[in-house]
Amino acid sequence: MDADNVVTLKTVQKAADTLSGHVIMTPVQTDETLDLLSGRRLYLKCENFQKSGSFKFRGAYNAVSRLVNSNGSTANRLELVAGSTGNFACGLAMAAELHGVTAHMVMPDNSPECKRQMALSHGASLTLCEPAAQEIARTVNQVRDATGAIFISGAERPDVIAGHGTMGLELLRQVPDMDAVVMPVGTGGMLTGVSVAIKSICPEIRVYGAEPEVSNCAAMSLEKGERYAFPRFPQSVADGLNGNIGKLPWTYMQSNVDDIFTVSEDEIKNAMRLVWERMQMVIEPSGAVGVAAVLSDSFKARAGGCKNVAVILSGGNVDIDILSKIL
Amino acid sequence: MNTNAEVTLQTIEEAARTLAGHAIRTPVETCETLDLLAGRKLFFKCENFQKSGAFKFRGAFNAVSRLVRSNEPTQRELHVVGDSSGNYACGLALAARLCGVSAHVVMPNNAPECKKQIVLSYGATLIQRERRQDFPQTIKQVQEMTGAVYISGSQNPDVISGQGTMGLELLQQVPDLDAVIMPVGGGGMLAGVSMAIKSICPDVRVYGAEPEVANQATLSLQNGERFVYSYVPRSIADGVVAGIGPVTWTYIRDNVDDIFTVTEDEIKNAMRLVSERMKLVVEPSGVVGVAAALSDSFRARAVGFKNVAVILSGGNVDLQKLPELLLM
Repeated sequence: MDADNVVTLKTVQKAADTLSGHVIMTPVQTDETLDLLSGRRLYLKCENFQKSGSFKFRGAYNAVSRLVNSNGSTANRLELVAGSTGNFACGLAMAAELHGVTAHMVMPDNSPECKRQMALSHGASLTLCEPAAQEIARTVNQVRDATGAIFISGAERPDVIAGHGTMGLELLRQVPDMDAVVMPVGTGGMLTGVSVAIKSICPEIRVYGAEPEVSNCAAMSLEKGERYAFPRFPQSVADGLNGNIGKLPWTYMQSNVDDIFTVSEDEIKNAMRLVWERMQMVIEPSGAVGVAAVLSDSFKARAGGCKNVAVILSGGNVDIDILSKIL
Repeated sequence: MNTNAEVTLQTIEEAARTLAGHAIRTPVETCETLDLLAGRKLFFKCENFQKSGAFKFRGAFNAVSRLVRSNEPTQRELHVVGDSSGNYACGLALAARLCGVSAHVVMPNNAPECKKQIVLSYGATLIQRERRQDFPQTIKQVQEMTGAVYISGSQNPDVISGQGTMGLELLQQVPDLDAVIMPVGGGGMLAGVSMAIKSICPDVRVYGAEPEVANQATLSLQNGERFVYSYVPRSIADGVVAGIGPVTWTYIRDNVDDIFTVTEDEIKNAMRLVSERMKLVVEPSGVVGVAAALSDSFRARAVGFKNVAVILSGGNVDLQKLPELLLM
């Protein structure tokens, strides 16, 4: 296996070459109302428009592509397994299908129906388990033992993280005079990849993570100076962010991330509603967490000097049928 | 500069200049899943991203802007009044605000709540009436009190020219266009866009799409004369239940190749597809064109069509109602 052990600007640039023509270079949109409410110019990167409905496709595609290339003639016998709260399962299932490779997904039993359906629609097999980190790990191991599948970590694998980092390269080209970029944090793959890309090229640009208050392991880890993990998954409406910050992401966080902002459940729902109603775009609760952060008082207090702020709308996979329950 | 008496390529190009920097030149998006379902490449013009949430802003801004320019010598305080099931009210309210003019809009009681809120948020006066039959009387009352100029949301030539600018943009944005499909209610969009497209590329087919239960345009084309139901049909596509007007009829009769009708379920299915696959917030009226593009009757007609543009006309929908709107 030919995976790099670290995440660098070079590995992100290589990922960009691999992804070129396969992932969507998603648009950056602006909205006058959101600018007014936040007190600055916001540039929203629409990863809800990405293949499989979230940015996770980037990392998944990069990882599968590199794996297939390094396996040459035996690639079509490859089997992959991953644990995911949802979007990585969708991205990996789609990337695997595009490469003709078998995928097995392990998801918590409280994951959104649309995410399970999407993984299945791309030909992946699905095993559900209790929503706890050790349960997911245990079930992944079971599948691995039964099938010989290769484990693809959505949080720890460097080529997944490098794939996500390509958003940073795109933002540097798409957003004029960017002061800061804000993005949701779950396991920290996006935050790591994007921060490496941006800080390597323009270290003066601020990189901020955004988390639900009830699922604030990244914020707590930064505060404590050591990685903190919830033993049982929190239950934020931002279902994609209920996982813990990964080990590899943690090693980059202290040096590359300027701050983590936490937001309440109501702030997340309000931000989601704003994007749906004012920008006419479907985003999922996790996808709204960055918007919630830039609208928050703490952002205005701690990052108020930033004038042109990019915000990543990480995904749009949400069960519309239960929208009234979510909002 | 007076109100134009008719709609021509010139008046539409003039409208494009008036709208430049004010209306959004909306993007055209594509979706592989929908291409697969349709059996051809579809190009979606995202007027749900337009100011005030629907294409209606284009016509409203063109009309109000020209009115202001023709009023300049007199310096009289201007009021405008319009009647609308929703989106034209939103467009007129915003256009009036941007042009420094007072707006009065007459809407039915059962118009979507979000559209009423948008109208109020732009500072327009909102008058609600139970029955559409009462609209003309109400408009007269407003005119008597304020001297307001009535601007029809679909029959005013400046409004139609404004809508036609979408046709100009589509010809620029979509290479090798074979056909364009759009929803039709009063016919302002269909009249303007068909005039723009047929004037420049007469080979491009122009189609309207409407609910089966509100198929006035279809019956009009079939009969060779304008037909309107004596009642207001009820469809989930609340923005297109009105019949074609007398002005738009002449342009539609001469420029439109056909009208396709779709069932309520087809509209709901299209809503679900666009929301779930394209992550776009659209209203039922907004996807009537999509429903048509996916229909059997269109497939039968579109043999050989490779590139078809579909206008997503608007995205003003009550989020609480969204789940029930998707239920089939």
